[in-house]
Amino acid sequence: MSTESTKVAADQSLEQVLKTIPALQDQATLDGLSDLMTKAAPLIQGRRLHNILDLLAATSDVIEMSDDAMVQKLMALYENAIGTTWAISNALRYAAAQAAQDETPPTILQSLRRLNKDEDARRGLSMAINVAAEFGRQAKAANGPMPED
Amino acid sequence: MIQNIIVVGGGIGGTMTANSLVAKLYPEIVRGKARVTLISNSPWHYFKPAFMYVAFGAYYKNELRRPQASLLRPEIDFVLDEVEGFEFKNSRLKMSSGKTYDYDYLVVSTGCIPSPERISGLKEAGDHFYQHDPARQLYKKLSTIEKGRIFIGVTFPKTPNVPHQCGIAPVETTLMLDDFLRTRGVRDQIEIVYTYPTVSQLLRNCLFLQKETGEVLPSIFESKGIKYKRGFTLASVDPDRKVAISEEGQEEDFDILMQTPPIRAVDAVINSGASEAPNDEGWLPTDRQSLQLEGYKNVFVMGDTVDLPISKAGGSCHNQSPVICNNIAGLMRFGETPAEYDGKVQAIGQMGMDVGMPLWYDYDEDVIPTPPSKIGGLMRKGFNRGVYWSVARGLV
Repeated sequence: MSTESTKVAADQSLEQVLKTIPALQDQATLDGLSDLMTKAAPLIQGRRLHNILDLLAATSDVIEMSDDAMVQKLMALYENAIGTTWAISNALRYAAAQAAQDETPPTILQSLRRLNKDEDARRGLSMAINVAAEFGRQAKAANGPMPED
Repeated sequence: MIQNIIVVGGGIGGTMTANSLVAKLYPEIVRGKARVTLISNSPWHYFKPAFMYVAFGAYYKNELRRPQASLLRPEIDFVLDEVEGFEFKNSRLKMSSGKTYDYDYLVVSTGCIPSPERISGLKEAGDHFYQHDPARQLYKKLSTIEKGRIFIGVTFPKTPNVPHQCGIAPVETTLMLDDFLRTRGVRDQIEIVYTYPTVSQLLRNCLFLQKETGEVLPSIFESKGIKYKRGFTLASVDPDRKVAISEEGQEEDFDILMQTPPIRAVDAVINSGASEAPNDEGWLPTDRQSLQLEGYKNVFVMGDTVDLPISKAGGSCHNQSPVICNNIAGLMRFGETPAEYDGKVQAIGQMGMDVGMPLWYDYDEDVIPTPPSKIGGLMRKGFNRGVYWSVARGLV
């Protein structure tokens, strides 16, 4: 858990500092760095690496600015999306499996009779009507005629 | 004939396993050849690790719980009842309601119960954060203390090589406490003393149950002015004198005693007679690879109820659950248990109010501690606030 760091003495040149870093005395490190430089050279020359650094800086800024409240809001959004998708896919899968079990699908009259008897089915229908009503309300709120200021 | 699979326990282990069993056995379930039932004694599912945050003033109750039924796939029969007797020999459960349930396969995921009453004086004078109401009580004290001494201790089960609940929690809460008191502006007037017992699983006289992590703790504690002490095994508490007394013969005074308490299995598990654990702790003898209850091929054990040297935490359940699902499917389809648990546990340690440390280990490899970071803290917060519920649904 400790962080290793190399302290630089005052008035040292860059060359002297580089000589004090143990990792840089290893040929494998130097070979790796050389490969990296070859790869990065066109990006540096074309000023394209600047974009990557800007992206890193922006990412770092987002991390610094993310507080508890922002995490809570983002994760509430996540759970809403996942939970709703999960509930809908569960209902579709379960309903499809049940429907497939009937050798002969129920007649319309049988379906209506079930709707009348089955409390959950009636609640489902009630919910569907509520959803339609809410869509209607939102459609009016967003697109209905508005008075001028 | 329909195969009855019953999962007992509505915690994270039982919930994710019931959901994953439906996914794994869907071909059998949709043809009416298998049925998955989850039995829980609570209509609510609690995100238990959040209780730790409750002790520092975070989380309202409704933010850390969901209706149990809302986390279950519709193919699962949810039964709200309590198991009173496990009859492993007859593959039968006796319920408090008087009903009985026969099973072909059983998953026991009944968790553990903090039991401060097992140490004289601890319930009266000590505090902990492993349940909601005690965590609220601890918050009231932590949010009002102005000066004094907060003494932190850890109690291990008496069963050899079995850990206490959530191994990293005492370290997490010690570091969170330091942050919390600094934010309140009272840290300078309050002494924090972190202690660890003489015996912690296979280690002796250390500060954590794993060697490498234990070795880095002194420098972290010293950088924050937290005092630490090895070899303090709480034997009793004198509530009148506000003194903690150790098995090693020491006495330590406190204003707040934040003690990880003794734990035990639930009554029905203890009374099943299947446990060989000392001190009436009730851990079930569990095969460390297949996770079957010793002597019973159709019974699987997971989470806090096992007698394995693995953290009693959700991060263990997350890795045990797929093994159990695969082995039940293997037994049903081929009569074999193909999957083996390697002891893997993963988590993101909350190493202060805002920083986290992703960690993982297994039977063979201990945690390699890394520097806690703000990104780690955000990952932990994101998990707490959202991803956890996807884990319970068996989606992650």
